[in-house]
Amino acid sequence: MLAIRDLHLSFNGNEILKGIDLTVNKGDVVTLIGPSGTGKTTLLRCINCLENPSKGEITLSDLQLNYETISKKDILKLRRKTAMVFQQFNLFKNKTVLENVMEAQIIVQGKKKEEAYKKSIEELEKVGLLDKLESYPSELSGGQQQRVSIARALALEPELILFDEPTSSLDPELVGEVLRVIENVARSGVTIVLVTHEMSFAQSISTKIVFMDKGVIVEEGSPQFIFEDSNNERTKAFLNHFKSNQTVGV
Amino acid sequence: MFDFKVLLESIIEIATVVPKTLVLAIFILLLSLLMGAIIALIQQYKVPVFSQIIKVLQSFLRGTPNVVLLYLMYYALPGILTFFAGILRIEFDANSLNPIVTVILTFSISYSVFQSEIIRGSILSIEKGQIEAAQSLGFSFWQTFRRVIIPQALVAAFPDILNSLLVIIKALSLAYLISVVDILGQAKMVGALSYRYLEAFVGAALIYWLIGVILTFISNRFELKLRHGFH
Repeated sequence: MLAIRDLHLSFNGNEILKGIDLTVNKGDVVTLIGPSGTGKTTLLRCINCLENPSKGEITLSDLQLNYETISKKDILKLRRKTAMVFQQFNLFKNKTVLENVMEAQIIVQGKKKEEAYKKSIEELEKVGLLDKLESYPSELSGGQQQRVSIARALALEPELILFDEPTSSLDPELVGEVLRVIENVARSGVTIVLVTHEMSFAQSISTKIVFMDKGVIVEEGSPQFIFEDSNNERTKAFLNHFKSNQTVGV
Repeated sequence: MFDFKVLLESIIEIATVVPKTLVLAIFILLLSLLMGAIIALIQQYKVPVFSQIIKVLQSFLRGTPNVVLLYLMYYALPGILTFFAGILRIEFDANSLNPIVTVILTFSISYSVFQSEIIRGSILSIEKGQIEAAQSLGFSFWQTFRRVIIPQALVAAFPDILNSLLVIIKALSLAYLISVVDILGQAKMVGALSYRYLEAFVGAALIYWLIGVILTFISNRFELKLRHGFH
């Protein structure tokens, strides 16, 4: 459903991504793990064209695009098939919770107000925020803001949702509520690509784990394979480091 | 002796030109905002030639007093307009040029440079994350601009814009130099007629002050209202 071929990206002459190949099937939950500064978030942002790769191809269902020749129109098409949940939530600060979820449905998808309202209520109910409809983002906790941003993404019924370290800027006691919401999303069959440092969470919800280091994919496989059976030195070193530092469970 | 009765009479006399002064100031404010927005865009996208011209203009306008600009325009504008009218083969009598036009043009141009800074600052104050969120949700460039950037930039710029209205109202006190009668111009005439200059100028000062107080009050009220719920 999503296929990336030979993706390269450089910032000021530094090559961040050095030829990435990634395949995601419909209904997959693919988790990118690896040390900080490895390019996991950058890879995720390339899928949504928030970065400009210097080379590579992307296929998303019926869209087949080359990053070197991609047009503004193609970028918009790509973005309208996907949705992203950011580390910093990035809610629209001048809009209420309800308006945040309704906005893109009306502006981008051209839905009628009542229709967008209905869908928004439905999604906000799933993330447990029906009592906060009229609140502004600044009145919510980080965990609540992130749940709104997940509802905002889901309301667009994207073919693929990208989660960029959705719990990394949350206080430890708020991580659980957001992970539970993501877990429900994963169970509902939506295709997900996720970047996270929550290893036990990644192990429990993923259908595939991709371990990245220094701009390349070192290895990929089932959670069982990566977490238990891998013989790769880099993978083992990274996971051992995590096991000894694991603080937050699910 | 200071005569309060004369002061009151002077204030009433001077107050008759307050609406005219305010309309003039608001007109200049809107025009300078429009020009400021264009300047901000040219600078943001570094449009060749234009952005260099604007840089020089900016430095020139920063370094010259409003009075000088006003006289400059007063003596140069008829010639310039006649020249362009000649090119376009339009009948134009330079002597028919209303000095109000000169005042509006001079102040609009000279404040547009400052307005562009206000506009730029307010747009830059919006977090990149919100813009990226809009993009990732599939908003086009204009949709992002209209739905996300503009509403928040307006709120951020609102106090500065009202402040510049006050600055323009005060700067208009120079307009009488080219025979446009504003608050100060009216005060001078009232003083000349009654020979009570002190009362007339105290009256003018009080009126300016009152306008300032009202604008500050509006600014505070609206800022709170506009910002309701977010900062």
